[in-house]
This record gives sequence, C-alpha cells and structure tokens, in this order.
Amino acid sequence: MSEKRPHDMGGEPGGPIDTVDHGMKFWEKQANALRNTLTSRKLVRLDELRRAAEDLGARYYELEYFERTTHALRQVLLEHGLISEAELTAKMAEVRKRYD
Amino acid sequence: MTRFDVGDRVRVKAAFPPGHRRTPHYIRGKRGVVERVCGAFPNPEELAYSFSGEPKRILYRVRFKQQEIWPDYGGPEKDLLELELYEHWLEAA
Repeated sequence: MSEKRPHDMGGEPGGPIDTVDHGMKFWEKQANALRNTLTSRKLVRLDELRRAAEDLGARYYELEYFERTTHALRQVLLEHGLISEAELTAKMAEVRKRYD
Repeated sequence: MTRFDVGDRVRVKAAFPPGHRRTPHYIRGKRGVVERVCGAFPNPEELAYSFSGEPKRILYRVRFKQQEIWPDYGGPEKDLLELELYEHWLEAA
C-alpha cells in the first residue's frame, strides 16, 4: 500500500486557519503569469504540475504555495527538455548578478 | 458508453497504487450512489505523467452519507458529501 501523497489531506485535523490576505509578491505574480502562459499554450499541463508538486513529499509543506508551484514548473520544463539544468543555472547566476 | 447510471450503488475501489491519483484516501472502500454522469474526460492520472490521457474516462458525481465516511461524525443522517470520481475507481455495489 502506497503512502498518502502530501496534497491528500481530506479528513485530517485542519489546525488554525490563517484568514489574512497576504497579497502576492512581485515574483509570485510573475511565476503565476508564466505558469498560466505555459498551461494555456499547452506546453505543460496542470496535471503534470500537480504531480510534480506532490512528488515533493515532506518538503511540500515546508514550501509556500508559489514556491511549490514554481518548483513543479521547473521540474516539468526540465522533463520536457524545454529548458536544461545548465541554462537555468546560467540564467539564475545572470539575474543574481543584477542584485549583487 | 457508461458503466453506471444515475441511482446506481457503487463502491470506491480500496486500491492504493503509487503516483498521482484523483481519488482521496478517505473515500476509498466507501459506498455511494451515482448522482450524475459528468461526461468523458482525458484521464488526469495519465496526463500527470505526460501521456495523452486517452482513452477518455467517464467521470461521475457520487453521493455519500457523511455518517458512513467519518466514524465519529456527529451531524445528522441526512448530511451528504458529493465527490467526482472516475469510472476506473468505481465498482458495482
């Protein structure tokens, strides 16, 4: 019998609920826009993104929502060969330099 | 071609395969009644792994009694829960 995956939380104690609207950070809006563009153009599917987020296992709850979905997007883009690990690393280094 | 009709009694398979599944654990093995046939959709459990999702699977809305799902449920008998479940997760009850 396989373990429950982290999203499958129905019936578990909910704990306190944070009802504060935290808004969206700039990078979160960008991440959302990128995800919406890639899914609406059918380059990636929401089902794939959900699966990749669930694959995080215990890390799923250590990450915030947009961190989790962005991790999933990274994973699926790599799987499809739409980006490579090397391209991503190089781009991240380039962007980081702007802030150093 | 649908295997079940509105009003049919069904049981959710008590199966626990690994991977991306669209049937929550808490409902597996429970009995309910088909409330409506939602239509045929590409199988999300296949789409999740980048396959085509074909052949399409029939999706049903199934009605369950809350008291039959939760052993310590304190609400009245008439309380219901409806879930949308794919045909390959259902068997005749």
